Amino acid sequence: MKKLFKVILLQFLLFFSIVEIVNSEEDTIVPNITYDEIYDPLEPVNRVILGLNFFIDDYAIRPVIKTYKFIAPDPVEKGVSNFFSNLKEPIRAISFIFQGEFMKSINSAGRFTVNSMSSLGTFDLASRMGMVKNETDIGLTLAKSGVSSGPYIIVPIIGPSNFRDLSGDVVEYFVDPISNNIPNRTYLSIGDGLNARAEVDDQIDQIREISTDRYEMIKSIYYQNRNSQIEEDFVQNLPTPKIYIE
Amino acid sequence: MFNRILIIFFLLINYAYTEDLEITNWFNKESKQFLEIMNNSDVEKHQNYEKYKKFVENNFAIKSIAYGLLNEKIIESNNEKTLIKYQNTFKSYLTKTIYNLANSSTSGDIILKDIDVKDGVFIINSDISDKTSSISLYWKVVKVKNNYKILDVIVENTSYFVTKKSEFTKILRKNRSNLEHLIRELEKI
Repeated sequence: MKKLFKVILLQFLLFFSIVEIVNSEEDTIVPNITYDEIYDPLEPVNRVILGLNFFIDDYAIRPVIKTYKFIAPDPVEKGVSNFFSNLKEPIRAISFIFQGEFMKSINSAGRFTVNSMSSLGTFDLASRMGMVKNETDIGLTLAKSGVSSGPYIIVPIIGPSNFRDLSGDVVEYFVDPISNNIPNRTYLSIGDGLNARAEVDDQIDQIREISTDRYEMIKSIYYQNRNSQIEEDFVQNLPTPKIYIE
Repeated sequence: MFNRILIIFFLLINYAYTEDLEITNWFNKESKQFLEIMNNSDVEKHQNYEKYKKFVENNFAIKSIAYGLLNEKIIESNNEKTLIKYQNTFKSYLTKTIYNLANSSTSGDIILKDIDVKDGVFIINSDISDKTSSISLYWKVVKVKNNYKILDVIVENTSYFVTKKSEFTKILRKNRSNLEHLIRELEKI
């Protein structure tokens, strides 16, 4: 049954990817999005799920994160964050191979070896040795090979994504060599999720305090962050206001 | 002929160098002042906020940002009184939101990394770093009447201008481009 599910899922992803490539035609590699016109046909459903996510966050996740951030000293937080980031180095190495970035792939594999051997990944010794961390994932690999983002979606509990990035996450779930070979994977996934939530705690507080429309703010931040990982001159290409004499 | 070309070349290089030096000095001075305001624990919080408010008034291109967040048609279809009201409300909103943004990310030093120019806009690449971490911070700056004014702040790849543009566009779309409604929403913050 599990195998059948995997096959159906992979077929679905493959079909989805082909459809996207055909539809996206020429300007697929650089997304060139005007951020106030992001493809969002599921907005009404997304808004409901976002409300639900904030409700769960308010009553279950946020208190845990605030307590953790209050109790844990900065070096501990950093260590935990490094640990979970290090577990993603093998999947980064695989992603870079598919992107044709072989040196970066070797760098990721090297980082994993050095950091795991020296401190189980809790200390980033590799960076000190000049092996700089490069972020990537399967979603970005799909983006760089021309797959457009598809509709924006809010995933229950997990948060903002789009069809392409969510597909990437699903593929990662099945092919990640580390988490597939670790017992108690569920606990690891929960820990990773909580760590990811703790890392964006300040930003979520800001969204609560300063946004006029938190749904739009989260969507815009999500796409800007993803595009910054896809486009080389991301900052230079961001829209700038017309200049008025003050 | 060759001498003239050489002189022109020399003048151009000299001009670029002077401009580079000028904006570097401006950035170093203003970022230092900004950090002093944000990290000053000797005075009451509201006194700091007042200083900070002046800093925003002096250094941000408020009208350009405020109008840039609206559609041109909305600017044309509203009278001057409403636009001035919007501009003033936005100034107060900008002050509060940048203060909030800065409060969570300002300890340590602001280090200038490099300056790029695109379409007359200076793009200043800097880092805020303390002992344990570092945050990437870009500033888009323009020279208006011999003063440098900030058009956008990009913290960890999130542009203030782009994010607010998305929010404001949605509010205006939902309310038939009614600027008064947007003003009321901004006043709530």
